[in-house]
Amino acid sequence: MWQYRELVWNLTATDLKNRYQNTALGFFWSLLSPLLLALVLYFIFRHLWGRELDFAINLLVGIMAWRFFANGTSSSLRTIVGKASLVTRVYIPRQILVLSNTLANIISSLLEFIVLLPILFVLLGYLPVTVLMFPLIHLIYFWFIYGAGLLLSSLFVYFRDLNQIWQVVTQVLFFCSPIIYPLSMIPDYLMPYYLLNPVTQFIIMYRDVMVAGNLPSLFSTAVVISFAIAAYLVGSLVFSKLQRRFAEEI
Amino acid sequence: MSAIIVDNISKKFRIPHEKKNTVFQNIVGLIKRQFDYEELWALKDVSFEVNKGEALGIIGRNGSGKSTLLKIMARVLYPNSGSISLNGKVASFLQLGVGFQPELTAKENVYIYSSILGLRRKQVDRVYDDILDFAELKKFENMKLKNFSSGMNLRLAFSTAIHAVPDTLLIDEVFAVGDEAFRKKCQDKMSQFKTEGKTIVFVSHALESVKELCQRSMLLNEGRIVTMGDTEKVINDYRAMLQGHQ
Repeated sequence: MWQYRELVWNLTATDLKNRYQNTALGFFWSLLSPLLLALVLYFIFRHLWGRELDFAINLLVGIMAWRFFANGTSSSLRTIVGKASLVTRVYIPRQILVLSNTLANIISSLLEFIVLLPILFVLLGYLPVTVLMFPLIHLIYFWFIYGAGLLLSSLFVYFRDLNQIWQVVTQVLFFCSPIIYPLSMIPDYLMPYYLLNPVTQFIIMYRDVMVAGNLPSLFSTAVVISFAIAAYLVGSLVFSKLQRRFAEEI
Repeated sequence: MSAIIVDNISKKFRIPHEKKNTVFQNIVGLIKRQFDYEELWALKDVSFEVNKGEALGIIGRNGSGKSTLLKIMARVLYPNSGSISLNGKVASFLQLGVGFQPELTAKENVYIYSSILGLRRKQVDRVYDDILDFAELKKFENMKLKNFSSGMNLRLAFSTAIHAVPDTLLIDEVFAVGDEAFRKKCQDKMSQFKTEGKTIVFVSHALESVKELCQRSMLLNEGRIVTMGDTEKVINDYRAMLQGHQ
């Protein structure tokens, strides 16, 4: 894969340029939408429903973390089918197509988080030092989403209604993650199952380091790394099996 | 020294009576128990070698397996059995301008297409001016590709492709597009590649081009090699076969 690094970067840049229509303003717009969403939600929960400040801040972090997962996986679905000529007309390792899509998404996500930081600073009055752990968590999250992307993009070649199915799955996952309600609302007997949702684990970690100022425990770090490795292994395995017939199926 | 060794390759296509490509259709198919499909052997026990610096032509009727064979050599399709080994850098031209982005400029597209063909950025920097000059598009380097005419598009793609300097070129009919002048340019370029000692595998229906470029050729029919050898003789066999069918 290393010898293809320039191609990976070129495809990532192409993806971003297309997304931002090659303009600074397009880039600005793409940041504005998550920002507005976050501010509207903040306003509703903080001022209309009168929830405490802590909850509203956690909501912002949760939304940003969620967006990386939701956008990363749903845009991965079409990476193979949408770039048919790169699959059927030339040889390149096809994982590159998924990788560059996930890279474009992590860059978008990083920009959103960078916009979020000053907002957190204003609301909290400070930024915890533990925020320095953010890049590490984001990297683990990236591998998790890349693995999921490998699985989804290769299955989509054979099952073209997977995008509708995945849309429903992500909607369910959204409500099964502690984003618009706090984790403490989950009853004890449900908690073990609830924590099986990988996104929940990641969101808890982001909040720990960005808001509460706690270093993540070794155990929870091990848990998210295991999720990332599992997703990557399953994704790679399925992808390398299915990719043999990509050119026939597209 | 062999540039390409193709060892006993077979390729089977499954053609289902009813194509199922959604979860829904698969479930319906399971319930109705429709699993019928036809098997088509596009290639059967094909073995041959291409020497370094040789130009090999592949001819045959439509559906004889030429393109399938070329796609397997290009590693786009995987054979059901058999193996293939390639020495040196291989560039496949099954289509020109793969990965061109209409929303990006000519310059950006040259860099993208070159990296798909396996060139480093630094290498592209060195030949960039040559590419644009050869395509006669220097003036338009910052124009978006969507505003190019199809002829300009083709010239840019071709010019980028020939500057990719692979050791082996796999060429499907791609160069048989464009006007007379363009085809002439392609012919000249391929002859030049040959004198430079590059290995070429050339699939075409244009028998005259094959005769001009390739000393050795292969005739495929229904997925098997009928004859392989001196191009003149193979073309005669092909013509005889065509007449036999009429």
